Amino acid sequence: MADIKTRDFSAASAVSILDPQLRKALAQVGTGFDAARRAAIDEVTPELWDEWREEARQIKVHTLDHLDYYLDLLEQNVAKAGGHVHFAKDAAQANEIMGELVRTRNIKVATKSKSMVSEELSLNPALEAQGVDVYETDLGEYIIQLAEETPFHLVAPALHKTKEQVAQLFTDKLGIPYTEDINGLAAAARTALREKFLQADLGISGANFLVAETGTLVIITNEGNGRLSTSAPRIHVGITGMEKVIPSMQDLAVFLRLLPRSATGQGITSYVSMVTGPRRADDEDGPEEFHLIIVDNGRSKMLADPDLREALYCIRCAACLNICPVYQKVGGHAYGWVYPGPIGAIVTPSLIGLKEARDLPQASSLCGACREVCPVKINLPRMLLHLRQKSAESPDSSERSAGLIPNLVAGGYTRLMRSPSLLKLSHTWGRWKQNVWAAMPFFPLTKRNGMIRKTSLPLLSRWTRSRDLPELPKNTFRDIWKKELSQDNDGR
Amino acid sequence: MMADSVDGTLGVPKAEFLDSVRRSLNRQPVAPDPAYPRLLDDLSSLQEQAQRIRARIAETRPALLDKFADIAEARGWNVHRTSDPENAIAHIQSLADSLGVKNAVRSEQEVFGQVMVDAPLEAAGINMTTVSHGPDSSRESLRSSIIAADIGLTGADYAVAETGSVIVLPRKGLSRLVSVVPPVHLALVRPDDLIESLDDLFVLRRLEYQEKGGDMGSYLNFITGPSRTADIEQTLVVGVHGPKEVHLVLLG
Repeated sequence: MADIKTRDFSAASAVSILDPQLRKALAQVGTGFDAARRAAIDEVTPELWDEWREEARQIKVHTLDHLDYYLDLLEQNVAKAGGHVHFAKDAAQANEIMGELVRTRNIKVATKSKSMVSEELSLNPALEAQGVDVYETDLGEYIIQLAEETPFHLVAPALHKTKEQVAQLFTDKLGIPYTEDINGLAAAARTALREKFLQADLGISGANFLVAETGTLVIITNEGNGRLSTSAPRIHVGITGMEKVIPSMQDLAVFLRLLPRSATGQGITSYVSMVTGPRRADDEDGPEEFHLIIVDNGRSKMLADPDLREALYCIRCAACLNICPVYQKVGGHAYGWVYPGPIGAIVTPSLIGLKEARDLPQASSLCGACREVCPVKINLPRMLLHLRQKSAESPDSSERSAGLIPNLVAGGYTRLMRSPSLLKLSHTWGRWKQNVWAAMPFFPLTKRNGMIRKTSLPLLSRWTRSRDLPELPKNTFRDIWKKELSQDNDGR
Repeated sequence: MMADSVDGTLGVPKAEFLDSVRRSLNRQPVAPDPAYPRLLDDLSSLQEQAQRIRARIAETRPALLDKFADIAEARGWNVHRTSDPENAIAHIQSLADSLGVKNAVRSEQEVFGQVMVDAPLEAAGINMTTVSHGPDSSRESLRSSIIAADIGLTGADYAVAETGSVIVLPRKGLSRLVSVVPPVHLALVRPDDLIESLDDLFVLRRLEYQEKGGDMGSYLNFITGPSRTADIEQTLVVGVHGPKEVHLVLLG
């Protein structure tokens, strides 16, 4: 599987947050993607949009609740169309299947259209180990492949790169003259990859949807790389998660309406390719072989947990990333694996384990914006809370997110709030410290606009490192009650 | 265990995989209850639905044509409307001329019997290739003609008003690559190709699937405007891997 750096979430986000270039790129996420999404919804009317969301959700609920049945139906119909379905329980097995296919078919060059699952599996290194040259063909994926990085965003993997960086990268790796002209850079990628499409023996794609009734793989792209990858090489292998299946072709319509609008604000993408088996005898071109690799890799665990199952409804539109105040600040790489943003904070711990990714469910203000924008109405905040609870209550200390000190603090806080006398004592002490000790060398406080900006008081200093603390008022409610209000009442 | 047969199934056997899914769901190996309504559609119910769709389209065709033209234009097609085949030919000719086309490739579809572009384009000195079925050896030469072409011409199996999309299906004389490899694509759309919505499209496809005894054909491709990307600094670029320029001649 892809390198897992989820344990470094805190440190990595602290670095990202101070990166001026990421600030600039991430500012565009709201003004670009999310604004386009909102405009597209206004165009179809919010009422109709909500009907579509509900319809899509019900399709996903039904299909996932009967996933065994639909996977069976899908396999039968792919086979009927002359294709092969292979089932992989984990990443290693998926890569092994791909390895077997490239060995037995003597594959030397492969082109790949965008697939998050292939990132999850680390398919490229596995293919390279078999001596296969594999080329990412989505422009954003191609850029990050050349830069040897991981995707920064589900839909726009190279969002974090400036045109200057891409220009330098293309000069270094493709040997083209330096140009910052974005059209020129895209043209250079077209030229470099066109050659690969025509050389490739193998085209690899993901799948946005799989239609059980007909055994059809559906991919949605704007660049045309998906169509070329699935049309030009002599073998097409689709590789995807087992949750992508839907019952019938008629169920696809609503998803074709929801996905592009949620992702980029488009009414539909430039290309929707629906592939059913290899080319038939009468076809003029197209792949001779069609294979579909269906991957579990931890998904059955999510299926088994009623509290996490709905994360499998996700159609990877990235609307929740674009609206998320945390993603907008820390960006995609801080999340440390393949799936960033709110959905990543749920999917990642579910797939690789809470032990590895215990900090991710904490990376949310629980504002609920992700739930509001989700085209399949996934209740993300509920699942984030569920994972936090699981983490807090885990008997395994390595799954507990906060660690010893914050747990002690939380325990102390509970104690304090339950005892009027302790609370009173702490308020008295706090006011004293606030007034008398503010300027003193031990544990000084920095105040501004009536807020405590910074304290070096142990434990509290961690809180004020990233947040302001309101000042304690001069008098407590109890003081006021005693001195003024209760007297008024008595005097009546 | 890896199965070692090249054509067989690799990875875990299906039964084992489905068992593990079933265990996660706490389910028995039976069909969903209640059964999924859409999968219960039989041939006659799909025929009925299709009949209603066709009747609705026939009644509203002029308005649908306008809607399709508007949305297609908004999605990036250059739309030219004419019901006169001679005018369509003249339009294609002048387009080829302004683009400086030397090589053109077209699919073999009915609409080219109505709009006969070969002779006029050849007369203008353009080298014209038609996709036609031959033995395997000719697949390579077809491919090089498509790669060399400055423009690819196709018809449409359907045109969807809701999305401004042209739909192409596999058949003899039709290549997947003609609409995506050359830098310019031109699609000829007849009023009869028009349908209103994605729902219409999928009902009609399901009907054909059932009528053909469960053969879907190897692909169903949507084309909606030019190839595009915004992967560098969220700046729109038109024409990445597919055509930069797409034209639509609407014969009605």
